[in-house]
Formats: sequence, structure tokens, C-alpha cells
Amino acid sequence: MTEQKPAEEAKANPEDRRIGVYICHCGGNISDYVDVEAVRDALVDEPGVVVSTTELFACSDGTQHDMIDAIKAKGLDGLVVASCSPKLHQVTFRNVANRAGMNPYAYTQANVREQASWAHQHDRAGATEKVIGLVRSAVAKTRLSDELHPLRFDTVQRSLVVGGGITGLRAAIGLADIGLEAVVVEKAPEVGGWMGRFGASFPSEASGKDQIASLMAQIKDRRDITVYTSAELTSKAGTFGNYTVGITLHRDGGDKELSLDVGSIVVATGFDSYNPDDGEYGYGMDGVVTLPEFKELIDTAPAVGKLSYQGRPVRSVAYIYCVGSRQGAGGNEYCSKFCCTSAIHSSLLVNKIDPSIRQFHLYRDIRAYGKFELEYGASRGAGSTYLKFADDAPPTVEKLPKGGLGVTVTDLLTASREVILPVDLVVLVTGMVPRQNKSLIDLLKLPVGTDGFFNEIHPKLRPVETVVDGVMIAGCCQAPRTAAESVQAGLAAVAQSAALLKKGYAELEPLVAKIDPDKCVGSGECLSVCPYESITMIEWDGRQIASVDPSTCKGCGGCVPLCGVDAIDLLGYTDAQMRSAIEELISAEAPTKAEAVKEPVS
Amino acid sequence: MDYDVLVVGSGIGGMESSIKLADMGYQVLLVEKEASVGGRMILLSKVFPTLDCASCISGPKMSTTINHPNIKTLAYSEVEQISRNADGRFNVRVREKAKFVDWAACTGCDVCQKECSVAVPDQFNAELAPRRAAYIAFPQAVPKKAVLDRAGTSPCIAACPAGIKAHGYVSLTRTGKYEEAFQLNLDATPLVGTLGRSCYAPCENGCTRGQVEGTVPIRMIKRFVADRHYAEADGPGVEAAAPTGKSVAIIGSGPAGVTAAWQLARQGHKVTIHEAKATAGGHLRHGIPAFRLPKDVVEADLANLDALGVEIICNSPVTDLQALKDSGYDAVIVATGASREAAWSVPGADGANVVSGLAFLKDAAASQADRLDGKRVVVVGGDVVAMNAARTALRLGASEATVVAEAAKPGALACNEVEYTEAAAEGVKVIFATAVAEIGAGSAATLRCVPASANAPAATEGEDGDSDETATDASAAPSAPASAVSSLEADVVISCPGLEVDETLFAELAGVGNKTRIAANRRSLQTKAKWLFAAGDAASGLSTITRAVGSGRRAAHMVDRFLAGKTLDGFELDSKLSTTKHREVLGRHNQITHRDPVTGQVSLVTKPTDFAEIEAPLTEDQAHTGSGACLDCGVCSECQECAKKCPAFAIDMSQRDKLTDVEVGAVVVSTGHKLFAADLKPEYGFGTYPNVITAMQMDRLLAPTRPFNTVLRPGDGKVPDRIAYISCTGSRDKTVGNPLCSKFCCMYSIKQNQLIMGALPLADVTMHYMDMRAAGKRYEEFYTQAQDMGAQYIKGRVAKITEEPNGDLLVRYEDIDNGGGIVEASYDLVVLAVGIQPNRDVEKLFGDTPLGLDEYYYVAEPSAELSPGQTNIPGVFVAGTSAGAKDIVDTILHAGAAVAQVAAHLEHHHFAAEEALV
Repeated sequence: MTEQKPAEEAKANPEDRRIGVYICHCGGNISDYVDVEAVRDALVDEPGVVVSTTELFACSDGTQHDMIDAIKAKGLDGLVVASCSPKLHQVTFRNVANRAGMNPYAYTQANVREQASWAHQHDRAGATEKVIGLVRSAVAKTRLSDELHPLRFDTVQRSLVVGGGITGLRAAIGLADIGLEAVVVEKAPEVGGWMGRFGASFPSEASGKDQIASLMAQIKDRRDITVYTSAELTSKAGTFGNYTVGITLHRDGGDKELSLDVGSIVVATGFDSYNPDDGEYGYGMDGVVTLPEFKELIDTAPAVGKLSYQGRPVRSVAYIYCVGSRQGAGGNEYCSKFCCTSAIHSSLLVNKIDPSIRQFHLYRDIRAYGKFELEYGASRGAGSTYLKFADDAPPTVEKLPKGGLGVTVTDLLTASREVILPVDLVVLVTGMVPRQNKSLIDLLKLPVGTDGFFNEIHPKLRPVETVVDGVMIAGCCQAPRTAAESVQAGLAAVAQSAALLKKGYAELEPLVAKIDPDKCVGSGECLSVCPYESITMIEWDGRQIASVDPSTCKGCGGCVPLCGVDAIDLLGYTDAQMRSAIEELISAEAPTKAEAVKEPVS
Repeated sequence: MDYDVLVVGSGIGGMESSIKLADMGYQVLLVEKEASVGGRMILLSKVFPTLDCASCISGPKMSTTINHPNIKTLAYSEVEQISRNADGRFNVRVREKAKFVDWAACTGCDVCQKECSVAVPDQFNAELAPRRAAYIAFPQAVPKKAVLDRAGTSPCIAACPAGIKAHGYVSLTRTGKYEEAFQLNLDATPLVGTLGRSCYAPCENGCTRGQVEGTVPIRMIKRFVADRHYAEADGPGVEAAAPTGKSVAIIGSGPAGVTAAWQLARQGHKVTIHEAKATAGGHLRHGIPAFRLPKDVVEADLANLDALGVEIICNSPVTDLQALKDSGYDAVIVATGASREAAWSVPGADGANVVSGLAFLKDAAASQADRLDGKRVVVVGGDVVAMNAARTALRLGASEATVVAEAAKPGALACNEVEYTEAAAEGVKVIFATAVAEIGAGSAATLRCVPASANAPAATEGEDGDSDETATDASAAPSAPASAVSSLEADVVISCPGLEVDETLFAELAGVGNKTRIAANRRSLQTKAKWLFAAGDAASGLSTITRAVGSGRRAAHMVDRFLAGKTLDGFELDSKLSTTKHREVLGRHNQITHRDPVTGQVSLVTKPTDFAEIEAPLTEDQAHTGSGACLDCGVCSECQECAKKCPAFAIDMSQRDKLTDVEVGAVVVSTGHKLFAADLKPEYGFGTYPNVITAMQMDRLLAPTRPFNTVLRPGDGKVPDRIAYISCTGSRDKTVGNPLCSKFCCMYSIKQNQLIMGALPLADVTMHYMDMRAAGKRYEEFYTQAQDMGAQYIKGRVAKITEEPNGDLLVRYEDIDNGGGIVEASYDLVVLAVGIQPNRDVEKLFGDTPLGLDEYYYVAEPSAELSPGQTNIPGVFVAGTSAGAKDIVDTILHAGAAVAQVAAHLEHHHFAAEEALV
């Protein structure tokens, strides 16, 4: 092996660093169990340490100011605070360094509270010894710290919206209103999605068709929105803030290809309606319809008059809830959320058309949550009858000999009586299923949940973000929900896009993997382990070597140990730093063990 | 424009809105009414359906919020009013509530809350456990800073003319900090033992407990801590400030002079008291008989001064103030008191058997009075001197002691009523409405008595309309009643014509004000000779010991300022908050447990024979019980423990609310919701049955920062085996005016069901529900998971809960799944799944243009489908549960939607719906 030139050669001797060490009492949390003065004294003569002091609360405003003064007055170029977990205050002290004009990445937090004082409350000597080791170790790491700076890159002020339903269209307007150009790609020849097919919706009675029309009118008013129909997203390259996407436009004269730079992508591809199996609750029989079919039937009925199906008057309707939802293991386990209220609302529309139509709702739990409870109450007030069936005793549908349909159900609400309802129409209250969209999933690397819907990065706190930076999901492609909720999610994705792009640049932590091109032999092994696909092979000095894209690298360090020639270092946690830190820790612990042996056993 | 956006409320909706807007580059002002950001979410145990620890996912959000360079967070502040300008921007008035803690100095170390002597229900623990009046909101608070909960000045403190923190020493006594309680008294005066006996206790008149069963025995508690200190401690244990090099002369060693000396000496001044008499103490020593105020108590109190190096020169009457000043003092305080008896010009008043009351008491106090065995003593006068003289005469063996008073009835006497009743109980006879016209000569004189004239001299009047002493203007009845007797035989006549201020000392230099007092400014107590101050009765005319103490303390502070060259104008000695009203205090306590009031035991015998103290001290138990009755009117008791112990010197009792006006471009209302008050469903027994709790309380019992270290039932601390949940408590219920579904209760119940089964593996968990509303991503699967873990779900409403003698609860419910019968089941603990209620605080936010609300008082969203979060006011948006029931993820999405439109508004693009509004 040829002699390697130490990368740090030009650097000053690490022992000439000027490091300030602050040992925090944490108001007794540390000092009650650790001899903090002894720690301070042990660090005073440590090479490179210029200040070693204890503080009642290192995090307090006052001490922060003292630190800033010390950094400036004593020309400190490294800072170590021995206190709590870095999760709590790493940002705090990096900011202190920043404010004092010191490189924030020359700050190291030694977690001596969780790792020593709390863990060894009954062994003051041992805890103190351990703290000395941890602080020396942090100093060692700091001595070898490099000056690092956040990675800053410009962001493209344009977002791509995939899907031209109500969610996507509203999101596009939201983007444009904030000053981000919006490009909508819709697979179908027409925009509007499911909402564009239907009339009155709950709870405001606004027509879905009208809502889509109003959105399209507003889109026409805005120069910053482009809508492509019969179009598909077909390629994606680049990284968050700077994606390059390819769009294929299916046109009569053949496909056209389009390339665009976008900063973020909002996926709003919607859902498919559950398609019952043949024979499922009598599906396939004349007079058994799904919820979307029924809604179209209502839309075509006169405002007031008669409801008819296939030319026959409808005098009675039975709704069977949870079709395609809450199916238990092996089926669709999830609840489709919108369907209870949608069915209830449909029954109210029927009631308006012809109040004499008898309506029966066969349900398991009525999930008319929040203000939708009012719709549920209204439908009961309008004469709808509700019958509850047990999860394991679903109703059955059969043709009656005299014509019409018979629905048999055991009603829990009337002491489990079996009832046969003769009705003209059976509405299967069908839920939502995930739309089949494998090419898009592969292209965007969208995570898909066990239920088949797209998964967010955190279902509670980050509901529109995915693990892919800059790719958002909104609406029913993520989970069943109402149109209004989908619009909310679409706008939330707009807000998230703006939070990422609006400043015009983005900053990333510089704690990323770096490849030493002199050492790299181009084995490509690191490429296989990178979960973020941040490593690519590039041509360098006439040979192929690996290269890390710092804008997508998360600094996980997975590639570092895999490199056979030690060509990869993690900035901020370099091999040299970690080795030095470990050596300090080991050498500090050794005497404790020796002493422990000498102590008499009591 | 000061900020682009104002966000009101820092729950998860407010934080999400603020962070997103700040990330976009907008300047955000976030106003939070509590001392920490985080709202309700940070208080939860875990969240559904992920079972993430709420702290772990909400903590970093809180930290991001407060540290964001584009967010200015005002915690512990409230938005007073928002008004919309013609240009579409908003003027906002923010009240930064006084925290009484300097947050720049506070390190969040929590010493103050450990030292605090007041406990109040902890709103951050759903009132399951107490918190302190000095508190950090909760362990993960951001910012982690303390505040002092002060509702006002406690009435007892407000009533004290001596400036003693009565509430403070009561609360310290309650917590067993007797020495600290004594020291708190010492902050005002060295005369702690004396006031513990001789104060008329105006504090007790103010005591809110007095509106219930009877006052807290505040004076007796003071006596208890004083006695305890003098029995156990050595010296006062106080430190004086560094010497200032200034010296002050005080004339008179009564309560005012002694208190002034104490205060000045603590401030580092050299103090010399000039006392005309042979011993120090003024009326305390010479006037009040030992059976009411033992002389060793006075001596112990006076000895406190020795420790500070105060020199008392006795037999040192001052006749020339200027000469005294010129002998080397920087300032002089006249505290000579009301030491002169008024002139009495009745014929025969100079007879040999006539003695002055004051002289008689002085001799008796010095054990130099002659025995009066078998003698008939008549005391002329109706003031405290008269009563004391008559009672002293009985103790010296007098066969009878008769008081002749001009007052028409006991209440009109110039003494405190208790002084009269005690005297009467000891056998003193009082003849009312009678004046002595002439005293005959001879050893057994005959007093000629006449009806008291209508213009009989009025007795001492209270100052400033205060009612702490018995005023006697009632004696000036329009028509004089007939005297009871026309003549009396007496062997000894004691004359008590009343006390007055001797003005000869100061008349020339300072001038004489009305009521023969020194002409001094009533606030600054400074005379026209700038170096000359007055204190006590010399400044006010005849008053009480406690007032004299207060006056001495005031004079000392004024002299201290004078010596430091500071202005006296506008200086407020005790800057107090407004006094807490009884109604407010009683309203704050959900229920007040009856306590028999603790009162002093005074032993009164007819014709007592000795001078032993008549009032028995409180036992330690009585002191505890008595102080335990305190209702903590002002919340903070001003016991000063936090101020004394704070390592950062951050406590600042002088802080006051601060109003700030800012202009913003848009507003996000994220004030959240309230929870249904479960006691509005009396059939469930919440508030009556201790083992019926709300789900928020259960969340606290399950949280990592829980108040007890396990799940237990509050009634008896038992770990429950059978736990029932009752869904829809206060939701879907027209009987309580809320037909709406609260959406999150089913899910949080299922979450808690799972957590309980984890925490208490043997417990049975049953939920009584109407419809299981597990509608949301992975919610149904979460419900199934709970069923698989063994939770029971019974469809049907609960009609009634009754408590069994052992605290268990009998739940009567309908079992729909099994035939619909009425069933009863017994549980150890019942958890009410309380629903959401609107936070109607939003109604106060907007002035001229009120914020539109829906019929259930949630913020209305006129075009909820396409412009969610948009309100009726352009530029005002709503995020989260202010607009209706939402769970956390709904709130985050709703906030995101609101934020997108806020940004659009700020960029002057308006979505159609908003354009329609403009």
C-alpha cells in the first residue's frame, strides 16, 4: 500500500486548538451525583483546552452570553459542553457558536447526564470517572474537527401536481397564489376526477361539477398554472428543490415529450371505487347498485318528482354499509371513512326528490363524525330507518318471487329480530380502494402501505411528506377521506412546498459522506448500500470513482464501513475523530476498573 | 408592519402554522396564554394510531417553534384585541402577563417550585395533582421558565397596616416552616411576639375563610411562630446590609420607633434611639398589662435590635431637635407616640386618691404599684387605658372596679370590643352614658355623676376609613340618655381622659397638623425640615400598635431613600396588586371541605389574682389546622421563599402586565378547544364519585410525566382491575346542548384501552359505546388491534352510575349486542370519554368586525370545501379545533391549508372565495 498523505496535513497541530469546556451542574441533576469540580480540574491541562469551567445551567441565557464573550475574548475555536443529551441542546450551543462567530460544527456535546449522572446515581466516584472520560473524548473529537458549512443550493420556483381532481386543481391554485408556478398533469382527457362526475355533495350541498368548473375558471385566470390532460409523468431525475421531470403528452398525432425543472412534486392521484364481486350482497342482480352508480342516478333524477331505476319507479331503498371496507383479515381491513356520511347524504337527497320513498340503512357503526352527525340526525328525522347488523352476520340480498329484492338482516337494535325488507333498490355503500399506479410508484419511489395507499413520512406529524424529500402526497391516494379533507391535504402540500422552496434556496447539514478520490478504487460497493441513492459513479482523473451527492446524502454513515480502502469519511464524524474519541474514552476508563478491583468487597 | 402574521395559540395547530409560515420566510408573532408552548398535545401520553410518545414528537416541534429565527414567541401572554385597518392589515394589542420572574435570568431550575408554600390544582395534570403557585408549566415546558401565579393581593395582606405578609406566614406555617414564617414577620418589624398578642388583626377581618366557617387565626399563628422562635432560636438570624456610613436618630422606643430602627439598621445605617423613660418599649412595656402582653415577650422582641447594633439610650429626653441633628445625625425620626394624657378639669381631679391611668399602668407594669386590697376603684374613661387599669386594679386586690364611661353602650366605647368583654368577664362593672362632674374630697371620695353630654369627646377615630379598630362615634348620640347613677363611692379614682400627642418637641421646627400631630407629609412622613421625619402616633394622632409599626416601617424606607438622595415623590412602599375578591376566591374552589375554625382560648376568671397571660398559645396541631384553613386568596402567598432561594435572583414581585401594540398582515386563530365539563352529566357522578375520572385525567395517569407512578383510582389509590369507558360523554347529546360528534374520543379511548392493557396486564377494559367511529387512516386496524388485545366493546348507552360503599361503581347500561337488555356491572374505575367544546375565548379577540361563528360557537368557515380555514374576515384564518372537532393529524392538515391561504393573502393573491369577501 502506498503511503497516504494525511488529508489534515496542512492543518495546525490539533493540540494547538483553543477549546472551551463547560461542565454543567444541570441544577443538581449532574452535580448531585458527579464531582463536577473534579471533572473541571481533570480537563484544565488537557491539550488544546483553554477554558475549563463549571456552570449551574449551561443552557441559561446568562451562561450563553458568557460563552459568547469567552469565545470572542479568548479566540476559542472549539466548544465542548458536558451536559444533557444533544437532542435537547445541540442546536442551542451550535447557535451560541454561530452567534460568537465560531464554526458551529466545532461544537461537541458530551451527554454526561443521561449517560452518567442519571445512570450511576449510587456511584459518585465511578460516575465522575466516566464523565471525565466522556468529556475528554468529546474534546478529542473537537480537536480534530474541520470547519464545515451548511450546503446551500437554489430551489426551482415551480411545482408539479400529479392528478387533476379537486385536490390537484385546488393545490395548483394554492401554489400559484403563493408565487410558485404550478404544472398539473392529468392522465384522463378531462380534469375533475370523481368530484367532476357528481352533483350535490355534503355538507354544503355544493355540486362537485360546479366546484370543478369554478376551479378551472380560476386556473384560466392565472398565468402561472399549466394543466396538461391526457398526460403522464414518465421520468424524474435530480434532487429535492431541483427535479427534472419528463412528461408524456398523449396526443392524437402521437406522444409528445416534455421536460421541466420543478422544485417539488405533489401527488394527488386519487382512488378507485370498490368494485363488488359478482354476487357480493347480490351485486349483479337487477336493482343492486354501488354508491357511485346510485349518486349518478340521483343526479339524473328530477329535483322533485319520482326516482326511477331502469324505467321502474323506486319506492324503497336499502343501503348496505361497509361494502368493501372493514372486511377483516384478508380483505380491506380499513374503514373508508367518507361512505357513511355519503350514503346518509344521498338518502337526504332522495328524500328531497320524493319524501315518500322508504329508506333502510343497514350498518355496523355509523361513522358520521364531527359535524356530519347533524346529517345523520337529519336523515333519521326525515324518516330513514336504521338497522344495525353484527360484524359476523351481514345481510343477504335475494330476488323476491313477486319481483323486487328482499334484504334479510338480523337487527340488533330490535332485540336481534330477523327482518326481511322488500325493496326496489339495494345500494351497496362501497368504499375506496387504492388506485393501481405501479409506474408512478416506481418512478417516484412512493412508499405504499399494507392497505395499498401511499404512506406519509409520519402519519401524525408529517402527513403530506414522504420519505422522498420534495415529494408530497395529498388526498385519497393516501387514504380514504372526503373531498373537503382532500382539499385541505392538497393545500397543506402547497404549504409544505412553499416552506421548502419559497426562500429560493435550501440549506442542508454538511454532515455527509465524502469520498477521497485518491483512495477510491471504484469498486461501486458503496452504491449498493446507500438507501438514498446518493452515490453515483463518476469519471475522475480518467477512472471511475464513486461520488456522493451531498444534497441527498443523509449522513447515515452506512457506506463508510463498507469501503474496503477506507476512502469514505463522514464529515463531522471522521474516522480520525471517532478513533481519537474512543481512545480517550478507553484510556480514561482503565484506571477505574483497576481501582474497583482493589476496593474491598463490602 | 411589525409581523407578517399573528398566530393566536401555540397548540399543535398554532405551532404547525407558525413553523410553516416562518419556513416560507414570513415573520411570525406567536402568542400563547400559558407559560409554555405545546397546548394540549404535549400533555398526552401517546397518540393514536402510532402510539408515539406525545412528548417525543411534540417536544421537537416546540423547540423548533421557539428557536425559529422567524418566530417571535410570547408565552404567558394574551391577545387583547384585534382590529382590521382600512388597508387590510390588523392592529393587535397583546398583554404580556406579569410572570413575576425575570425570564432572562430564570434557568428553569425549579428551586422556586420546590420552595413554594402554596399548592393549587395543576391544570397541566387535569387537576389530578397539585402544582405550586410558583411553577414551571410541566417538565418538558418550552421555554422552561417559571412563573408565579398571582391572582391579586390576598385580602389579609392588603389589610395589614404594618405591611406584614400575613398570607405568607400562614402558608409557611402550614408547611411546617415555622422559622421562615417568623423571619417573614421580621422583614417588617422586630415586634413579632408583641403583635402576635396585641394586634387587632385587621387581616382576620379580611380573611375569606371568615365568609365560610370562621377566619384563619392569623394573629395566633404569628404568636405561635414567635413563641417557637424565641424558645428555640438564638437571635433573630437576620443580616444587615453593608454599613452605609449614615446615622439616624430616632426619638422614642415604642412600636414605631423600634420598627423604624430595625428597618434602617437592616439597611446598613447606624441607628440610635433616644428614649425619655428609664426602659424601652413605650406603651408596649408601660401601658399594656402583662396579662395581655407579657414583658418577657416585649423584651425578646426588643432584643432583636441588639443583634443589629441598634443603640437605645434610655433616660435621654430630647428637647431640641436641631441640636440633636447637629450632634452628628444625618436624619431624625420623631416617634414619640401619644404619650400624654389629655387634660381633665373636673373639680377634685387633683385629689390625693386620684391617679392617672397611664401612671397607674406604668407602676403596675414595673411591679411598683401599691396593693389595692379591699378598695373600691372607679376608673373614669372608656378607652383601652381605662379597661386595662380596671383589670389591673382587680388583680391588685381591689374589691370592685367600676368604669364610668360616657359612651352609651359597649360598642361605642373607645376601646376594642374584646377589651370590654374581657374586662366585664373578669368582674369589671361598666356604667355607660355617664360623666363625672365632681370628685369629692376625702379618702373615700364621692363622685357626682351626670348624664354624659351629647357632645361627649369622641374617641379615637380610625384613619382613612379603615375599620380595624372600634370607632366610637356612636357615643355621640343625638339625645343623651340618662345616667345610670348619680353618685359613686370610691377609695381610688383612676382617671383615663384619653391619650394625645405631645407637640412641644416638634411644634417649632416642623409645625403642628390637625389632631395635634406633627406636620408631615402623610405618604413620605417627611416634615418641612427635610432631614426630619415622623412615625407612629406622632405622625398620625392616636392610633394602634400595628399602624404605628407600619408607620415606622414607612418612615424608615423614606429616610433610607432620603439618605441615598432618591426622590420620595411617587415612591410606593408596597406596590400591591389589586385585592382578590372573596367571591373570586370562593368561585375558584370547586368545593370547600368544612373545617371547625381554630380560635384562641382565653381564660377569664372573675377577680383574677395574678398577671399571668390570659390567652393560651396554639398547639402545633392547632397552628397546622388553623393555617390549613387558608384558601390562598391571592394564590401566591408572598412568603418570599422563592425570592430568597432563587439561585438566579430571578423573582421580581414588582413586574406588571405589559401591553404592546403591533401591526400584522394576517391572523391565524388556533385557540383550540375545551373539554366537556363532565359534571354536567350528573348521572355519571363525576365530581361526586372520586373513581369516576375523565379521559384527560386517564391520559395524565398514563403519561411518562404522570403525577403518580402508576395508573390508580383517585378515591383510594387502588390499582384498578376493572375499568369502564363511557363514550360520547357530552357529545351526540342534545340534553347538554351538543348534538355534534367529537370525533377523537372513540380513538383516544381505544388508545387508552391499549395502553392500560400494557400498563396493567391483568386489568379488564370495557368500553360502552354508541358507534365506534374509527374513521381515519389505520384507525379501524387500531380498533381491531385493541379487540385482539382483549378490550371489550359493548354497544349501548350508560344510563346511570352509582357508587358502592367500597368506592366501586355500578354501571347500568343497555347491552344492544346481546338482546338489548338492561344490565348492571361493577367496575373499579370509570373513565368518561369527554368530548370537545368550543373555546369561546375567540369571541373576545375581534372588536369591530366580530369573527363569524357557526351555530355551535366554532369559528365558521364560509367556504369550507375549497377554502378551508378561511373565516368571514379577509386575512383571518382558523387552524385546528377552533373550527370544530379534529384529531391531531386533521389539525395539522387544516393548519397547512390555512397557512397556504395566509401566504396567498400576504402575496396579495386571493382565492375566489376570499375575493368575494373583500
